[in-house]
Amino acid sequence: MADPTQMSVFSLMKARLQMLGERQKVIAQNVANVSTPGYVPSDINQEAFSATLQRMAGHGSGAAGPTRTAMVATQAGHMAPPASGGGTQMATTKSPDSETTLDGNAVVVEEQMMKIAETRMDFETMVGLYQKSLGLLRMASRAPGR
Amino acid sequence: MSSDLMSAMGAAATGLRAQTVRIRISAENLANADTTAATPGGDPYRRKAPVFRTFYDREVGANTVKVTGSREDKSPFQEKYDPSHPAADARGYVKTSNVSSLIEMADLREAQRAYEANLNVIESSRAMMLGVVSLLKA
Repeated sequence: MADPTQMSVFSLMKARLQMLGERQKVIAQNVANVSTPGYVPSDINQEAFSATLQRMAGHGSGAAGPTRTAMVATQAGHMAPPASGGGTQMATTKSPDSETTLDGNAVVVEEQMMKIAETRMDFETMVGLYQKSLGLLRMASRAPGR
Repeated sequence: MSSDLMSAMGAAATGLRAQTVRIRISAENLANADTTAATPGGDPYRRKAPVFRTFYDREVGANTVKVTGSREDKSPFQEKYDPSHPAADARGYVKTSNVSSLIEMADLREAQRAYEANLNVIESSRAMMLGVVSLLKA
Protein backbone atom coordinates (compact mmCIF):
# COMPACT_ATOMS: atom_id res chain seq x y z
CA MET A 1 0.00 0.00 0.00
CA ALA A 2 3.04 2.24 -0.16
CA ASP A 3 2.20 3.45 -3.64
CA PRO A 4 -0.97 5.56 -3.51
CA THR A 5 -1.68 4.89 -7.18
CA GLN A 6 -2.21 1.22 -6.27
CA MET A 7 -5.01 2.02 -3.83
CA SER A 8 -8.34 0.92 -5.10
CA VAL A 9 -9.95 4.39 -5.01
CA PHE A 10 -7.15 5.88 -7.03
CA SER A 11 -6.98 3.07 -9.52
CA LEU A 12 -10.75 3.31 -10.06
CA MET A 13 -10.54 7.07 -10.58
CA LYS A 14 -7.58 6.61 -12.89
CA ALA A 15 -9.52 4.07 -14.95
CA ARG A 16 -12.46 6.44 -15.23
CA LEU A 17 -10.24 9.36 -16.23
CA GLN A 18 -8.66 7.14 -18.87
CA MET A 19 -12.07 6.13 -20.14
CA LEU A 20 -13.24 9.76 -20.30
CA GLY A 21 -10.09 10.78 -22.16
CA GLU A 22 -10.66 7.98 -24.64
CA ARG A 23 -14.31 8.97 -24.98
CA GLN A 24 -13.28 12.55 -25.74
CA LYS A 25 -11.08 11.19 -28.53
CA VAL A 26 -13.89 9.05 -29.95
CA ILE A 27 -16.30 12.00 -29.95
CA ALA A 28 -13.66 14.23 -31.55
CA GLN A 29 -13.40 11.66 -34.36
CA ASN A 30 -17.16 11.74 -34.79
CA VAL A 31 -17.26 15.54 -34.97
CA ALA A 32 -14.32 15.66 -37.40
CA ASN A 33 -16.17 13.23 -39.68
CA VAL A 34 -19.45 15.13 -39.60
CA SER A 35 -19.31 15.57 -43.41
CA THR A 36 -17.90 12.19 -44.41
CA PRO A 37 -20.41 10.13 -46.41
CA GLY A 38 -21.27 6.79 -44.81
CA TYR A 39 -19.61 7.58 -41.46
CA VAL A 40 -21.34 6.07 -38.43
CA PRO A 41 -20.28 7.58 -35.08
CA SER A 42 -18.86 5.44 -32.27
CA ASP A 43 -18.97 5.71 -28.51
CA ILE A 44 -17.33 3.96 -25.58
CA ASN A 45 -19.12 0.77 -24.62
CA GLN A 46 -20.30 1.80 -21.13
CA GLU A 47 -21.46 -1.69 -20.13
CA ALA A 48 -18.08 -3.21 -20.91
CA PHE A 49 -16.40 -0.41 -18.97
CA SER A 50 -18.56 -0.81 -15.87
CA ALA A 51 -17.97 -4.58 -15.98
CA THR A 52 -14.24 -3.84 -16.03
CA LEU A 53 -14.61 -1.50 -13.06
CA GLN A 54 -16.52 -4.16 -11.16
CA ARG A 55 -13.70 -6.58 -11.80
CA MET A 56 -11.11 -4.05 -10.67
CA ALA A 57 -13.02 -3.19 -7.51
CA GLY A 58 -13.38 -6.90 -6.78
CA HIS A 59 -9.68 -7.59 -7.16
CA GLY A 60 -8.80 -4.62 -4.99
CA SER A 61 -5.32 -3.14 -5.23
CA GLY A 62 -2.85 -4.05 -7.89
CA ALA A 63 -5.42 -5.14 -10.44
CA ALA A 64 -4.86 -2.26 -12.83
CA GLY A 65 -5.22 -2.83 -16.53
CA PRO A 66 -7.53 -5.79 -17.06
CA THR A 67 -9.20 -3.76 -19.82
CA ARG A 68 -6.35 -4.60 -22.11
CA THR A 69 -6.32 -7.75 -24.16
CA ALA A 70 -2.69 -8.68 -24.28
CA MET A 71 -1.06 -10.21 -27.34
CA VAL A 72 0.78 -13.44 -26.73
CA ALA A 73 3.70 -14.89 -28.69
CA THR A 74 2.52 -18.40 -29.55
CA GLN A 75 5.33 -19.32 -31.94
CA ALA A 76 9.06 -18.93 -31.89
CA GLY A 77 9.08 -16.59 -34.90
CA HIS A 78 6.61 -14.11 -33.40
CA MET A 79 7.70 -10.63 -32.47
CA ALA A 80 7.59 -9.83 -28.76
CA PRO A 81 4.29 -8.24 -27.70
CA PRO A 82 4.60 -4.61 -26.58
CA ALA A 83 5.21 -4.10 -22.87
CA SER A 84 2.01 -3.65 -20.89
CA GLY A 85 1.11 -0.27 -19.47
CA GLY A 86 1.03 1.49 -22.82
CA GLY A 87 -2.46 2.75 -22.15
CA THR A 88 -5.72 0.89 -21.87
CA GLN A 89 -7.83 0.20 -24.90
CA MET A 90 -11.53 0.70 -24.30
CA ALA A 91 -14.15 -1.13 -26.28
CA THR A 92 -16.01 1.14 -28.67
CA THR A 93 -19.30 0.42 -30.34
CA LYS A 94 -21.06 2.03 -33.28
CA SER A 95 -23.76 4.33 -31.93
CA PRO A 96 -25.58 6.18 -34.70
CA ASP A 97 -27.32 9.41 -33.70
CA SER A 98 -31.02 10.06 -34.18
CA GLU A 99 -30.75 11.00 -37.85
CA THR A 100 -28.97 9.59 -40.86
CA THR A 101 -28.51 11.80 -43.91
CA LEU A 102 -28.99 10.63 -47.49
CA ASP A 103 -25.25 10.04 -47.92
CA GLY A 104 -25.28 7.60 -44.98
CA ASN A 105 -23.66 9.91 -42.41
CA ALA A 106 -25.19 9.33 -38.98
CA VAL A 107 -23.49 12.14 -37.01
CA VAL A 108 -25.74 14.79 -35.47
CA VAL A 109 -23.53 17.65 -34.26
CA GLU A 110 -25.89 18.68 -31.45
CA GLU A 111 -25.90 15.22 -29.91
CA GLN A 112 -22.12 15.01 -30.13
CA MET A 113 -21.86 18.42 -28.44
CA MET A 114 -24.03 17.10 -25.61
CA LYS A 115 -21.66 14.16 -25.23
CA ILE A 116 -18.65 16.50 -25.23
CA ALA A 117 -20.18 18.59 -22.44
CA GLU A 118 -21.07 15.45 -20.49
CA THR A 119 -17.55 14.04 -20.84
CA ARG A 120 -16.00 17.34 -19.81
CA MET A 121 -18.20 17.61 -16.71
CA ASP A 122 -17.46 14.02 -15.66
CA PHE A 123 -13.76 14.56 -16.26
CA GLU A 124 -13.67 17.71 -14.13
CA THR A 125 -15.62 15.95 -11.38
CA MET A 126 -13.12 13.12 -11.40
CA VAL A 127 -10.13 15.47 -11.31
CA GLY A 128 -11.74 17.30 -8.38
CA LEU A 129 -12.35 14.03 -6.59
CA TYR A 130 -8.78 12.94 -7.20
CA GLN A 131 -7.58 16.23 -5.75
CA LYS A 132 -9.75 15.81 -2.66
CA SER A 133 -8.53 12.24 -2.11
CA LEU A 134 -4.93 13.41 -2.34
CA GLY A 135 -5.82 16.08 0.22
CA LEU A 136 -7.14 13.39 2.56
CA LEU A 137 -3.90 11.43 2.22
CA ARG A 138 -1.91 14.58 2.89
CA MET A 139 -3.98 15.31 5.97
CA ALA A 140 -3.44 11.77 7.26
CA SER A 141 0.29 11.91 6.72
CA ARG A 142 0.78 15.27 8.43
CA ALA A 143 2.51 15.20 11.82
CA PRO A 144 0.00 15.61 14.68
CA GLY A 145 -0.45 19.10 16.03
CA ARG A 146 0.68 20.87 12.89
CA MET B 1 -4.59 9.65 -21.02
CA SER B 2 -3.30 13.02 -22.04
CA SER B 3 -2.25 11.47 -25.33
CA ASP B 4 -5.92 10.57 -25.85
CA LEU B 5 -6.81 14.22 -25.37
CA MET B 6 -4.01 15.17 -27.77
CA SER B 7 -5.46 12.72 -30.30
CA ALA B 8 -8.87 14.32 -29.77
CA MET B 9 -7.40 17.73 -30.54
CA GLY B 10 -5.53 16.32 -33.54
CA ALA B 11 -8.70 14.78 -34.96
CA ALA B 12 -10.64 18.00 -34.40
CA ALA B 13 -7.84 19.95 -36.10
CA THR B 14 -8.16 17.80 -39.23
CA GLY B 15 -11.90 18.52 -39.08
CA LEU B 16 -11.16 22.26 -39.04
CA ARG B 17 -8.84 21.85 -42.01
CA ALA B 18 -11.38 19.82 -44.00
CA GLN B 19 -14.15 22.34 -43.37
CA THR B 20 -11.82 25.15 -44.44
CA VAL B 21 -11.19 23.38 -47.75
CA ARG B 22 -14.95 22.96 -48.13
CA ILE B 23 -15.48 26.70 -47.58
CA ARG B 24 -12.75 27.42 -50.11
CA ILE B 25 -14.41 25.24 -52.75
CA SER B 26 -17.75 26.91 -52.04
CA ALA B 27 -16.12 30.32 -52.43
CA GLU B 28 -14.63 29.23 -55.76
CA ASN B 29 -18.08 28.14 -56.94
CA LEU B 30 -19.68 31.43 -55.89
CA ALA B 31 -16.89 33.47 -57.48
CA ASN B 32 -17.31 31.58 -60.76
CA ALA B 33 -21.11 31.58 -60.78
CA ASP B 34 -21.12 33.92 -63.80
CA THR B 35 -18.15 32.43 -65.64
CA THR B 36 -19.10 31.46 -69.20
CA ALA B 37 -17.08 29.81 -71.95
CA ALA B 38 -14.70 31.87 -74.11
CA THR B 39 -15.75 30.17 -77.35
CA PRO B 40 -19.22 30.11 -78.92
CA GLY B 41 -21.30 27.18 -77.64
CA GLY B 42 -18.59 26.12 -75.13
CA ASP B 43 -19.19 24.83 -71.61
CA PRO B 44 -19.18 27.34 -68.74
CA TYR B 45 -17.81 26.80 -65.21
CA ARG B 46 -18.98 23.53 -63.69
CA ARG B 47 -19.76 23.47 -59.95
CA LYS B 48 -17.32 21.50 -57.77
CA ALA B 49 -18.10 19.57 -54.61
CA PRO B 50 -15.55 18.44 -52.00
CA VAL B 51 -14.99 14.72 -51.35
CA PHE B 52 -14.56 13.85 -47.67
CA ARG B 53 -12.83 10.67 -46.60
CA THR B 54 -12.03 9.24 -43.18
CA PHE B 55 -8.71 7.55 -42.59
CA TYR B 56 -6.66 6.45 -39.62
CA ASP B 57 -3.72 8.76 -38.99
CA ARG B 58 -1.05 6.83 -37.08
CA GLU B 59 0.71 10.02 -36.01
CA VAL B 60 -2.44 11.53 -34.54
CA GLY B 61 -3.70 8.15 -33.34
CA ALA B 62 -7.29 8.71 -34.38
CA ASN B 63 -9.66 8.47 -37.31
CA THR B 64 -9.06 11.79 -38.98
CA VAL B 65 -10.83 13.34 -41.93
CA LYS B 66 -9.40 14.64 -45.17
CA VAL B 67 -10.74 16.28 -48.30
CA THR B 68 -9.24 14.04 -50.96
CA GLY B 69 -10.18 16.33 -53.81
CA SER B 70 -13.22 17.70 -55.51
CA ARG B 71 -15.60 16.14 -57.97
CA GLU B 72 -17.65 17.92 -60.58
CA ASP B 73 -21.36 18.44 -60.24
CA LYS B 74 -22.93 16.70 -63.26
CA SER B 75 -26.21 18.59 -63.12
CA PRO B 76 -27.18 20.34 -66.39
CA PHE B 77 -26.20 23.92 -67.22
CA GLN B 78 -28.68 26.76 -67.40
CA GLU B 79 -29.29 28.47 -70.74
CA LYS B 80 -29.82 32.16 -71.33
CA TYR B 81 -30.88 33.90 -74.55
CA ASP B 82 -28.21 36.52 -75.35
CA PRO B 83 -27.22 36.56 -79.05
CA SER B 84 -24.69 39.38 -78.64
CA HIS B 85 -22.67 37.39 -76.07
CA PRO B 86 -19.29 36.10 -77.39
CA ALA B 87 -20.11 32.60 -76.05
CA ALA B 88 -23.55 32.39 -77.67
CA ASP B 89 -24.17 29.36 -79.89
CA ALA B 90 -25.86 29.37 -83.33
CA ARG B 91 -29.33 29.67 -81.76
CA GLY B 92 -28.23 32.68 -79.70
CA TYR B 93 -28.20 30.85 -76.35
CA VAL B 94 -25.38 31.11 -73.80
CA LYS B 95 -24.78 28.27 -71.34
CA THR B 96 -24.37 29.53 -67.77
CA SER B 97 -22.83 27.62 -64.87
CA ASN B 98 -24.79 25.16 -62.73
CA VAL B 99 -23.86 27.00 -59.51
CA SER B 100 -26.87 27.79 -57.34
CA SER B 101 -26.08 30.53 -54.87
CA LEU B 102 -28.80 29.21 -52.53
CA ILE B 103 -27.12 25.79 -52.30
CA GLU B 104 -23.70 27.37 -51.85
CA MET B 105 -24.93 29.61 -49.02
CA ALA B 106 -26.55 26.65 -47.25
CA ASP B 107 -23.33 24.67 -47.69
CA LEU B 108 -21.26 27.56 -46.34
CA ARG B 109 -23.47 27.81 -43.28
CA GLU B 110 -23.23 24.07 -42.67
CA ALA B 111 -19.43 24.19 -42.98
CA GLN B 112 -19.37 27.07 -40.51
CA ARG B 113 -21.40 25.07 -37.97
CA ALA B 114 -19.13 22.04 -38.38
CA TYR B 115 -16.10 24.29 -37.94
CA GLU B 116 -17.51 25.69 -34.71
CA ALA B 117 -18.26 22.17 -33.44
CA ASN B 118 -14.64 21.17 -34.01
CA LEU B 119 -13.42 24.32 -32.24
CA ASN B 120 -15.69 23.39 -29.34
CA VAL B 121 -14.04 19.95 -29.14
CA ILE B 122 -10.57 21.53 -29.04
CA GLU B 123 -11.64 23.99 -26.36
CA SER B 124 -13.13 21.20 -24.19
CA SER B 125 -10.07 18.98 -24.56
CA ARG B 126 -7.83 21.89 -23.65
CA ALA B 127 -9.87 22.66 -20.52
CA MET B 128 -9.74 19.00 -19.48
CA MET B 129 -5.98 18.93 -19.90
CA LEU B 130 -5.60 22.12 -17.87
CA GLY B 131 -7.66 20.45 -15.14
CA VAL B 132 -5.16 17.60 -14.96
CA VAL B 133 -2.23 20.01 -14.93
CA SER B 134 -3.84 21.92 -12.06
CA LEU B 135 -3.46 18.77 -9.93
CA LEU B 136 0.22 19.67 -9.74
CA LYS B 137 -0.52 23.07 -8.22
CA ALA B 138 -2.43 21.76 -5.21
